[in-house]
Amino acid sequence: MPLVAAGPLARVAFAETERSATHEGHDEAHAPMGHAAMIGNEAPSIPRDPAIDALLTPPPALPHRPGRVRDYTLVARDVEIEVAQGVRYPAWTYNGTAPGPVIRATEDDLLRVHFRNEGEHPHTIHFHGIHPANMDGVFEVVPRGGEFTYEFPARPWGMQLYHCHSTPLKKHIHKGLYGAFIIDPPKPRKPAQELVMVLNGFDTDGDGENNFYAVNGPAFYYARYPIRVSRSQTVRIYLANLTEFDLINSFHLHGDFFRYYHTGRDEVVEYTDTVVLCQGERGILEIDFANTGRFMFHAHQSEFAELGWMGFFDVVE
Amino acid sequence: MTTVAARASGAWRLWALLPLVALVGIVGLFAATGSSLTDLLGRTPPSADQFDVRRVEFRPGEIRVRVTNPQPDELTIATVTVDDAIVPFAVDGGRTLERLRSATIRIPYDWVADEPIAIGITSSSGIQTTHEVAAAVETPKPSPKGFLGFGLVGLLVGVVPVGLGMLWLPSLRRTRPEWLAAFMALTAGLLSFLALEALSEAFQLQAELPSAFGGAGIVLLGFVVSYLTLTYLSHKLAALATLVAIGIGLHNFGEGLAIGTSFAFGELALGTFLIVGFMVHNVTEGLGIATAATEERRVSYWRLALLVAIAGAPTILGTWLGGYVRSDVLGVLFFAAAAGAAFEVVVEVGRWLRTRAPGGLTSGWVLGGFLGGVAIMYATGVFAG
Repeated sequence: MPLVAAGPLARVAFAETERSATHEGHDEAHAPMGHAAMIGNEAPSIPRDPAIDALLTPPPALPHRPGRVRDYTLVARDVEIEVAQGVRYPAWTYNGTAPGPVIRATEDDLLRVHFRNEGEHPHTIHFHGIHPANMDGVFEVVPRGGEFTYEFPARPWGMQLYHCHSTPLKKHIHKGLYGAFIIDPPKPRKPAQELVMVLNGFDTDGDGENNFYAVNGPAFYYARYPIRVSRSQTVRIYLANLTEFDLINSFHLHGDFFRYYHTGRDEVVEYTDTVVLCQGERGILEIDFANTGRFMFHAHQSEFAELGWMGFFDVVE
Repeated sequence: MTTVAARASGAWRLWALLPLVALVGIVGLFAATGSSLTDLLGRTPPSADQFDVRRVEFRPGEIRVRVTNPQPDELTIATVTVDDAIVPFAVDGGRTLERLRSATIRIPYDWVADEPIAIGITSSSGIQTTHEVAAAVETPKPSPKGFLGFGLVGLLVGVVPVGLGMLWLPSLRRTRPEWLAAFMALTAGLLSFLALEALSEAFQLQAELPSAFGGAGIVLLGFVVSYLTLTYLSHKLAALATLVAIGIGLHNFGEGLAIGTSFAFGELALGTFLIVGFMVHNVTEGLGIATAATEERRVSYWRLALLVAIAGAPTILGTWLGGYVRSDVLGVLFFAAAAGAAFEVVVEVGRWLRTRAPGGLTSGWVLGGFLGGVAIMYATGVFAG
């Protein structure tokens, strides 16, 4: 099975933070500055984690070849993760991170997801998309120590997602069992710098409200480590909202506009700088940056932004 | 017989030590194997991981939060929020606090005066302690002006009304014995009111203390120490007026402490109405001391001034202390002591009434006076409340 990368490999890298590396976090007082200055070493101190960095870049798209088998292995594991500066959270994860790994297939590929449950509780994987009733991740609950293989043709093309569908649903989702699921169209999308952003939140004190909000994991991760993109090529973001408890979440870009493809399809497209998503809603953003420089992106619910869902693009030539 | 008795008494001394020695041994054994017992019973629940917020200060461009770790396990400050927004902060001392250790969190913040503000401190286990301040008010720094201001408040609320109430002394001297008994019972009534008020305040403050400071027992401790001290004093210095003044003085110290603290931390608007309310409330205290002073045949002006000072001056000390220092443990002890002292003086006044009141304790004058005392305190307290 040949792996063919569609287009040039995404030129995405993390910008080196400009401030001195010797500056250690917050154990000295700063003048009141607000979030505008919460960047790099001024942002809450989160350790750099390659596993989280890997979530930002999707695996490459493959050309359309009906019937090709795409294998993925997902293991449910209970792990303690750092969700904000110094805050440890007992998460339930697919493969050790919340969100789990990005699953990508081209339409008409045969998707085969091997699921093993090493967690303390029964779990499933429920994919959004078109598939047989017995592959829906609702009835075939996988007990502790159990295994199950989900197998179905990937369709329809667009931006999808997956999550655990065991009850209580709220608990199984907010604990971290979710991820992005990309189905590429038969006609390849034009080359772009591709990013995946899964919006999530963490209720660390169990009161049914999120204490922290984030993209792909820890609060303020992309404020601490801004995402470097280049102005000369389209930036494509696969965006999904899996925030529990709150009715909606959103994405707002500073200093530019983007084309927004609802559910990653062509039927509904808008040109905007802010989109609103309810839980389970997702889409694709395409940004052609007009300028270089540092641009903020965040939820346009100010509370979410100030509780961690805020980051920066470093746009270079 | 005598030798047997002597031997028996020696053995008795040794036997008396046995429970202590055995206790030390068993505690040592348990400490050495303690965890295995816990394992037998199952897993221990996780610790609460809540911080105890002792004090919040507002400085220009900065908020300072003093927190204590009230639990046996250590507790780490991970993240700080102000009004549900994560903010940069610095900690004086380490971020990880051992049992009962405190640290000051300094938050650079452009706070808005007179508006409510909520400080959140999240532990490394993700548990958030939220402390709400009703209105952000700049914390006074110790200054001669502020010192004078607090002193003046104490003087107005404590010393002046007690002094005014004492002016009833000449009239009380000329009154009929029945009326005097009624006024004495009124004193007992108002002291009972003050005692209950102080006790309730002590319990309220105690409820907010971390469990490490013990339960409600700390209130009993303060109460009993002051009650017994006054019982001892009542046999040494026979003057009933002095006892009444001490009882009222202890209460006024607590009252000053509460006023000073509330004012300094923006929990109380110290308006004219409130000051007048406290003054009206406290004039009755002067009446109580004056009634007790009718016992003494001749009272010098120095003696009167001393009585006013004992009853009223503690208010000044209280407002000073409350204005600059906040210690809830001290607050609990003082209010408990005030309750104990006031109840003891009620007992002393009761003794006086039993022997001296025409018709004894059950006469209409005494019952009416007592009821009147409670009613007056309640009515005037509405202003101060």
